[in-house]
Amino acid sequence: MAKEFLKSGADSRKSLLDPRTKILLVITIAAIVLGGGSGRRMNVIRPALTAIPFVLFLLEKKWRLAAAYAFSYGLAYWGGIFLIPVTAGFCNSLLVAFCGIFAKFMPGIAMGAYLMNTTTVSEFMAAMERIHLPQKLSIPLSVVFRFFPTVREEYGAIGDAMRMRGIRFGGGKPFRMLEYRLIPLMVSCVKIGDELSAAALTRGLGAPVKRTNICRIGFGVCDAIAMIICIISIFLFLADKFAG
Amino acid sequence: MKKEGIKPKDLITVGIFTAIMFVVCMAVAMLGYMPIFIPLLTVLIPLVGGIPFMLFLTKTKKFGMVTIMSVLIGLIISLMGMGVWVILTAPVCGVLADLIFCSGGYGSVKKSILGYGVFSMWLIGNYIPIVMTRDSYFENLAQGGYGQEYAETLMRYIPDWSLLPLLAASFVFGILGALLGRAVLKKHFVRAGIA
Repeated sequence: MAKEFLKSGADSRKSLLDPRTKILLVITIAAIVLGGGSGRRMNVIRPALTAIPFVLFLLEKKWRLAAAYAFSYGLAYWGGIFLIPVTAGFCNSLLVAFCGIFAKFMPGIAMGAYLMNTTTVSEFMAAMERIHLPQKLSIPLSVVFRFFPTVREEYGAIGDAMRMRGIRFGGGKPFRMLEYRLIPLMVSCVKIGDELSAAALTRGLGAPVKRTNICRIGFGVCDAIAMIICIISIFLFLADKFAG
Repeated sequence: MKKEGIKPKDLITVGIFTAIMFVVCMAVAMLGYMPIFIPLLTVLIPLVGGIPFMLFLTKTKKFGMVTIMSVLIGLIISLMGMGVWVILTAPVCGVLADLIFCSGGYGSVKKSILGYGVFSMWLIGNYIPIVMTRDSYFENLAQGGYGQEYAETLMRYIPDWSLLPLLAASFVFGILGALLGRAVLKKHFVRAGIA
């Protein structure tokens, strides 16, 4: 999954939703599921929004992601319902925090994963251009998203290298751990970044002409449905927050 | 310094370091799952973030790069639903910090340390909702899955008067983080030839 984040290769199939719709969905889900109140109407909207990433994963035939999301969310949710009443003390508060936070963050993260997994960098850039986000923001933004999985990969590689030499957790000293892990990570990230910018410049990024893009993005029926869902939920969310 | 616009290469550098900063911040912020660490984040994040930021500064020679980074941090943090205030505080701190760096020509040691202190103050955006809209925040935490106990403890750790101390803490530890970052820079990155 990690390697597919903002995938660079072109897929034969066009994605179901426009990148802009996906971003709107991410914002809606993150804002409402994470920060939402808990009024009567919200108890309907929140589960609905939670289900959206799952449905989208299924529609895009990302079976593994769909299963992973359903499984982990279900675990946190049922854990919260069944385990919390039967535990007590420190274990309980740990469990409450873990299940609660997990169940709250999962939908947003899943939606973000969907955005990254089904959007190519070119599509993303095309969409950003359509909403007139200046290139000064859209280029770094796409680099950021492109880079998260790289950082994780590199971190894993550094962990492997250290394990091979028998170093675990910085030998028990937390500040050593910072030094042993963060610094190699940054060195390799900077190197990768140099290569990335060399590659991007070779392909004409920042040339003084207007960029063209072969990605066809545009709104369709699915986008309309998703947008309506978003608008209704945001409207009810705000109504709940300020009027109810 | 010659007057030059920001080039795509700079934009990519900004993206990379924003990603690193963000991953580092998130890794530290995961500690917040114990309430005591929430106020302590103003200590830890500036301290740890100082290392990547000081390296970032060695690659920054133009006005605007730090500003873009702060705008991105604000955008991503609010995209992930961690508070809308950051989208205001981060750019404000970013521009101020950028001005400080710029006045030092992006080379002055003192200015860069001071600037990172200012930059670190964006963190305060995460605490504003706790204090300003305390009741709804509390309710949200208690009913939204964190549990009554977590919410009550957190409220106890962050009283109303705590915004200023937190702001001060993020500034002071930003400066300490910058010092730490510079030390690390000297020890590792200059030797490795990437600073």
